[in-house]
Amino acid sequence: MGGERKHYLWLAVVAALAAAVPLFTDNDFYLRVLFLIGVNYIAAAGMNVLVGYTGQKSLGHAGLFAVGAYTVALLTARWGWNPWPAFVAAGVMAGIFGIVIALPALRVKGPALAMVTIGFGIVVEKIVSEWQDVFAGQQGIYGVLPLSLGGTMFSSRQWVWFVLLLGVALHVMLRLLLRGRFGRAFMAVNTAEVAAESVGISVYRFKVLAFVISAVTCGLAGALIAQQNQYINSDFITFNLSIFILLMVLFGGHSVYGPLLGAVVLTLLDSFLSRWPGVQHFTYGALLLFALYAMPDGLAGFVRQMARKWAPGLLPAEALPAQLAPWRLRSGTGAETMLLEAQGLYKAYGGVVPTNEVDLSIRAGHVHSLIGPNGAGKTTLLNILSGIVPPDRGSIRFEGRDVTGLAPYRIARAGLGRTFQNLKLFAGMSVLDNVKLGLHAHIPTGFLGSLLGRGGNAERAARDEALQILDWLGLKDKAQEIAGSLPYGVQRRLELARALATHPRLLLLDEPAAGLNPQETQELAQVILRIRDLGITVLLIEHHMDLVMAVSDHVIVLDYGQKIAEGAPAQVQNDPRVIAAYLGADDGTQEEEEEDEEGGAHVQ
Amino acid sequence: MAESILQAIFSGLALGSIYALVAVGFNITFNTTKTLNFGQGEFLVAGAFVAVSVLLLLAGKQMTDALLPSEVTLTRYLLSLAGSMAVLALLGVLLYYTAVRPFVGQGGMAWVMSTIGFGIIIQNTALAIWGPSPLVMPSPLGNDVIRIGGAGVLPQEVLVLVASVAVLLTLDWVMRRTKIGKAVRAVAQSGSAATLMGINVGAIVVLAFVISSSLAGLAGLLIAPITTASVFMGLTLALKAFSSAIVGGLTSPRGCMLGGFLLGVIEALVGLWHAELREISIFILIIVVLVVRPQGLLGQRIVEKV
Repeated sequence: MGGERKHYLWLAVVAALAAAVPLFTDNDFYLRVLFLIGVNYIAAAGMNVLVGYTGQKSLGHAGLFAVGAYTVALLTARWGWNPWPAFVAAGVMAGIFGIVIALPALRVKGPALAMVTIGFGIVVEKIVSEWQDVFAGQQGIYGVLPLSLGGTMFSSRQWVWFVLLLGVALHVMLRLLLRGRFGRAFMAVNTAEVAAESVGISVYRFKVLAFVISAVTCGLAGALIAQQNQYINSDFITFNLSIFILLMVLFGGHSVYGPLLGAVVLTLLDSFLSRWPGVQHFTYGALLLFALYAMPDGLAGFVRQMARKWAPGLLPAEALPAQLAPWRLRSGTGAETMLLEAQGLYKAYGGVVPTNEVDLSIRAGHVHSLIGPNGAGKTTLLNILSGIVPPDRGSIRFEGRDVTGLAPYRIARAGLGRTFQNLKLFAGMSVLDNVKLGLHAHIPTGFLGSLLGRGGNAERAARDEALQILDWLGLKDKAQEIAGSLPYGVQRRLELARALATHPRLLLLDEPAAGLNPQETQELAQVILRIRDLGITVLLIEHHMDLVMAVSDHVIVLDYGQKIAEGAPAQVQNDPRVIAAYLGADDGTQEEEEEDEEGGAHVQ
Repeated sequence: MAESILQAIFSGLALGSIYALVAVGFNITFNTTKTLNFGQGEFLVAGAFVAVSVLLLLAGKQMTDALLPSEVTLTRYLLSLAGSMAVLALLGVLLYYTAVRPFVGQGGMAWVMSTIGFGIIIQNTALAIWGPSPLVMPSPLGNDVIRIGGAGVLPQEVLVLVASVAVLLTLDWVMRRTKIGKAVRAVAQSGSAATLMGINVGAIVVLAFVISSSLAGLAGLLIAPITTASVFMGLTLALKAFSSAIVGGLTSPRGCMLGGFLLGVIEALVGLWHAELREISIFILIIVVLVVRPQGLLGQRIVEKV
């Protein structure tokens, strides 16, 4: 782990340099600037998890800053708490409010999410400015107790050292967190929520977690400001503060170091140009306007690009083990003969009934195919089985356990993996990371363990298994490429690798041959048979009849949401109802079909 | 009591129509480009300030002088309207090319940052030209309170309401009935398909920003006599307009109008009861509405296909 040692060495050097600065100056202005950089970094570092990694843009974090600041102010100035526990309480309180804002925020996306967070920020702003009895509005709360050491309050220097210490600790912990399974999961939630659920990640929990992390750091930043000033009033809490917190992250760029760069540059700009407000604001505006145009990935992206160009040695690719044992599926197959049994599944969208009273039995160890004309309801049925679409009625038992109505990530964790008709890869991440995400549920490291860097061995084991899976599918040489840049056929195969990594007992494949050329389709047939030989049961949706007939033990035919036939491939092939569904039928059968079930008829 | 409620409803409608104008502007650019101008508040300010300056110049005064009520005639008011909408239309084009176009179609929110930046530059330009003190803009209709059913209403409020409703109805008609309106809606559905049908998507998108910006300018001009125009009035107004758009449904023009009027009236009624609870109650209400209907009142639910 030479890279790791190098990182900590650099960190120690930079931290020591930063710590030395206050020794050479007792200019309060400079010390204050350093302190502000630290505080802004602390706020931005958590915000980066929410915005940069999880992709949830919040414009209301001034509200959480306020929660921290006023918690400390009220606890110390009004209720006489010791400043240290009050400081901790500020973080906890902000975390709780993080959940409060996350719950409504999670129901909405995009501009509506921005709205909910803006609303939260403004509500807090108005409460602290209008509820004079408690928060003293613009007049503010005096006598906030600053942090102290041995009974003496922190000096300006000690404040700088304290935020530096806090900042370094935060950096180390968040970096450990973000480089492991949590960081990957946050990014997965950001790029493709449905796919994240399909590998066993609870999108909901990870979004709440990201909100809480950002809330805690913003709350601590607020507490630091209140305690250092020994004063807080409602003028601190403005919409502009929310924007500033967001900008540090956007401007800094998508990286663990982004918030640091953003905090340093924007704080310096703010402080040193404040003598000329006109110039300051123009610079500020121009920076916002052109920064992301000139540096699409923010400052961090720009630095990375420069480093790649001028000093490639700084960014070594991870060395991967060359020799690997062949992949073996760790989980055994259950003794059940009927792996999955569904009864009376029914789903209607208005008058359209894509799934109409479908019964389904999936026998362990077999390859099942689900076929039918376009619009027959195949994908909807798959979505019902994998929990993405809740059925209106009917029940699903998987390995004897009722899984009806469970969240998709729970179903995935129960052993039901899937791929998607329209590829849903984590396109911006490496091939290896995509497969590691498949292993997400099988990496034991918890949240605290990740923060404290206890996940190293589990992480390496996951990497090795991911490589084995890639090797098993002939993708090992592509491990470090970016998933979105691969050719289409390879992307399909990668999605299969990711699904296999979830250690499924039943694998649902939604048109895996779509867009593949004839040779790739042939190879796919071989792969499906090899998957079956691993002991994984397969349910396949496919239009390529050659493929279906070559690999299936059992074929199920859907038409207009109803199961019209099932059985061995040859048997189904000759079923008149199947032929009618695919090729149209003479009048007699047509009428019979229509009388059969009115509810099943739908447009297109 | 009944009179004051009536009065509150009326001024709420007037204020709401301002929100509606700006909200519809958000709707047009959002539908065509999936972006909107986060600096729209500054555009509103610019609209008001340019109009005041035109009025001053027409009265033969310096741009930084004060206006007398007698100097604001209806003709001059209309001329200042034309002037300010023209300047704002230009700003809209400029905004599109510098702050929006580089980022259209990209994920992420780079355009949020760039449009905020553009707004900050406009705000500081305004500060440099006009200074921080608020400008007084007398209403062309004077300040004699009109009595309607016992409620006192300012003539400017009537003007605001009538003018906005007229503009909104025209816009609605244009969008639904004319060829250009259909082109805008086609681009909103799918830019690439619209191109294939021979629609000049680039021009439509620029047009969207022109309309959006001039609507903001119009809103600034209309509201200025009621609130007095200050460089800093934009943020709150734009924020409320954005809220209106979201509550009504950002993708639906009629939703945006409804949202604007609704917000204005609720704000006025709550203000009657407890002035300091206006913002709090509005934003809590918005959060509740979004939790129940994430797509807004009239917005269409987007179902992600798996």
